Amino acid sequence: MLNFPNWKVILISVILFCGALLALPNLFSDGFLGLEPRDTGATDPVAIADFQAQKAAADASWWPGLLPSNKLSLGLDLQGGVYLLMEIDPDEVAANRLQTMLRDIQTALNRAPLIVREGVPDVIDGRINIRLSDPADMGEAMRRLRRINPTIGQTQINLMTLDEGANGVIRISVSSAARVGLAADAQGKMMEIIRRRIDPDGVSEIAITPQGDTRIILEAPGEANPKRIKDILSQAGRLTFNMADISESAISVAQQTGRPRAGWELVETAEGGLILIRKIPELTGTDIASANRGFDEANRPAVNFRLNGAAATKFYNLTARNRGDFFAIVLDGVSMSAPRINEPIPGGNVQITGQFTIEEADDLAAIIEAGELPARLNFLEERTVGPGLGQESIEAGSRASIIGLILVGIFMIAAYGVIGCFAVGSLISNIILIIGALSGLSATLTLPGIAGIILTIGMAVDANVIVFERIREEQRAGRSPATSIQAGYERALSAILDANITTFIAASILYLVGSGPVKGFAVTLAIGIVTSVFTAFVVTRWFTVIYLRSVRPKRLAI
Amino acid sequence: MLLRLWPEDTHLPFMSFRFIALSVSLAVLLGSVAMLGLRGLNLGIDFSGGSVIEIVQPDGKTADDVRGALAALDLGDVSINSARGTGVDAVDLTIIRFETQVPKEGEDAESAQQNANNRVRATLSEAFADVEFRSSAAVGPKVSGELLQSGVTALLVALLLMMGYISLRFQWQYAVGAVAALFHDVLITMGVFALTGFEFNLATIAALLTIVGYSMNDTVIVFDRVREETRKYKKMDLAKVVDLAINATMSRTLLTSSTTLLALVSIFLFGGAVLRGMSFALIFGVVIGTYSSIFIASAVLLLLGIDRGDKPKREVEGFQGVG
Repeated sequence: MLNFPNWKVILISVILFCGALLALPNLFSDGFLGLEPRDTGATDPVAIADFQAQKAAADASWWPGLLPSNKLSLGLDLQGGVYLLMEIDPDEVAANRLQTMLRDIQTALNRAPLIVREGVPDVIDGRINIRLSDPADMGEAMRRLRRINPTIGQTQINLMTLDEGANGVIRISVSSAARVGLAADAQGKMMEIIRRRIDPDGVSEIAITPQGDTRIILEAPGEANPKRIKDILSQAGRLTFNMADISESAISVAQQTGRPRAGWELVETAEGGLILIRKIPELTGTDIASANRGFDEANRPAVNFRLNGAAATKFYNLTARNRGDFFAIVLDGVSMSAPRINEPIPGGNVQITGQFTIEEADDLAAIIEAGELPARLNFLEERTVGPGLGQESIEAGSRASIIGLILVGIFMIAAYGVIGCFAVGSLISNIILIIGALSGLSATLTLPGIAGIILTIGMAVDANVIVFERIREEQRAGRSPATSIQAGYERALSAILDANITTFIAASILYLVGSGPVKGFAVTLAIGIVTSVFTAFVVTRWFTVIYLRSVRPKRLAI
Repeated sequence: MLLRLWPEDTHLPFMSFRFIALSVSLAVLLGSVAMLGLRGLNLGIDFSGGSVIEIVQPDGKTADDVRGALAALDLGDVSINSARGTGVDAVDLTIIRFETQVPKEGEDAESAQQNANNRVRATLSEAFADVEFRSSAAVGPKVSGELLQSGVTALLVALLLMMGYISLRFQWQYAVGAVAALFHDVLITMGVFALTGFEFNLATIAALLTIVGYSMNDTVIVFDRVREETRKYKKMDLAKVVDLAINATMSRTLLTSSTTLLALVSIFLFGGAVLRGMSFALIFGVVIGTYSSIFIASAVLLLLGIDRGDKPKREVEGFQGVG
């Protein structure tokens, strides 16, 4: 018993040292650790002063770069923030994708020789019906449609399923295989668009993660207002350029009859009026290369954007062809502005003016540049924690931990004397290891996670207690301290392993099915189980051996 | 003099009381089931859907003022309570709850809840200058159903896996005994939630799973000792062996329960309002888990009997193995 091999001592020391090293950064400020603060772009003087003070501290830091500088990352419930769970509807994704094909379908059928059809094609209930005036054109129409039928993503699956009906009707729909491909595509695209809309400069610590095939979780720490985020994400961001008709007579006729002429529709303008636009757009959001906030001649905030190469040429031709007409820039069914084409516009630079505040112009530019959402986002769950509550929770959690630790420590020393002190020592090293492991793994600490740590404090001594009780028994049976300790540890092993493995199973299940804060609880519980078995079995034992060697007591006071 | 929670070397006949204990437990279990059936659980919005918005009580205003401000919103059943935060500079809080919203025109069921939250926030910001939102949550009907389902699944899967592990390490009778004790603990804890009307939410499920882990832990310690003693005393009556194991582990059981309870009570008292429900469940669970591993798990084990390898052939094999 008394020979505790050197390699074990070295191993324990290395593990404890690493744990302490990983836990160490939590004692210091970010600046001290040389972590550059994030420039959040905040404009109020207090925030700027704060930012500069932190930056100065970071620049002056002597913290060696080799040492770990990861801190415990706090969950939203501790630092405050917004959690949003959103869902995309796959049917809507398919219908919207089909919508974008309308222009190509129109162009293909309009090419000479023109294929005459009845009505203007539109997406209704997720499909497009085209009725040919002369069923004899069917062969040629199908040939042309097949040629423009795109494949989805990297797959060989065609987007459109073309069905030849009776009497010259062609039904265009999206096959179920294509739907699956589109949905997978849409989730990834959506996450990218959400990031670019919410955080165009990439400066905030926003986490956007997929859940299942159709859901997305957004976590924005520090943000206290879910409404702005929801507003930005609620806009489809569908931007189109349509030829427009602003003549009052045409508008009032359309308004009165409720039926504009074929191929045209009435939309609202940003000022609250009405305007007629051609249904099928000339250009769409995908033609836009970049967008940012600018100012118009009157120095009011506006949004500037630039078309990509091909679209710029198209736009030049369009403006050259339709000189004197109007075109409308339409965002989500509302005409933002409808200027008159005075001359052909080269270069592809366009501006939207309106009654924007600077923030609105910024958001709008981000929305336009990020592109159109493949489908509407449905918000399923929203949770917000204000920074005040978060701070209070941290304080309450730390207070409860310290009080719990002191109470358990006093109790252990009262029950087991000297050896109880060793258990307390290993309990403290246990907590350092838990914090070190959580920091090293960059796991997130939540309020239930703190409860998990406190619970571990109470339960971690269990392994020690089991061993100590065995030692008591052995000593009562007349064995020497060294043999009692040896036997105590050996006999307690199976009970401790079996008991902790079953608890570990419960923690794993919690981690797998839990969400957010509960997951945080499971992580600390699981880590706590591993570290407490290690500290009880190895660290306490090491302390005990040192004590036996140096003091050589005749009898253990236990 | 060191603290002793339990005298040394006791020989209490715990298993003589097993039928009394089983009857009492059965009665309490029936009571819990009746409670759950009659009163039901006070489901939090995690499981029932709906919204909770917590604001710092506006200066000089009362809960009734807040109710008045929200009256025009047509939110259905709204409950508005006042509470006091924890900590040194605690503030007065107003907590607004409303149930799952009936979609208005042009809304679907999911967005109705979110929109209602937005309207409440906007209305409160307008009615009270500088209102401070402490927290808000809106859970739509789709997610709340799923959360409940995944919570229950988690409990059942965990029970099943632990049962498998115990069967593997011990014998199936032990597994049945342990799981019977776990069901006992979970059901009675839920019964207490129904009785007291404490909110039952995701954190409570986490607490229940921890209770399951803890109670299992306790049971395994006793069973491990039973396993050991049956190897030592092959001819002794099983009830006596179980008593021996319980007596031997009693001191440990009480000590560990005490340290765990000390930690939990400090969460309950000092850990703030958010953790109160969870720590309440845990405190109750630790007490009942300690009881159940002594009386329920062991009693069920005794009812089922175990395969002690006391048939002559097995013993000879064992003998040869040693030789």
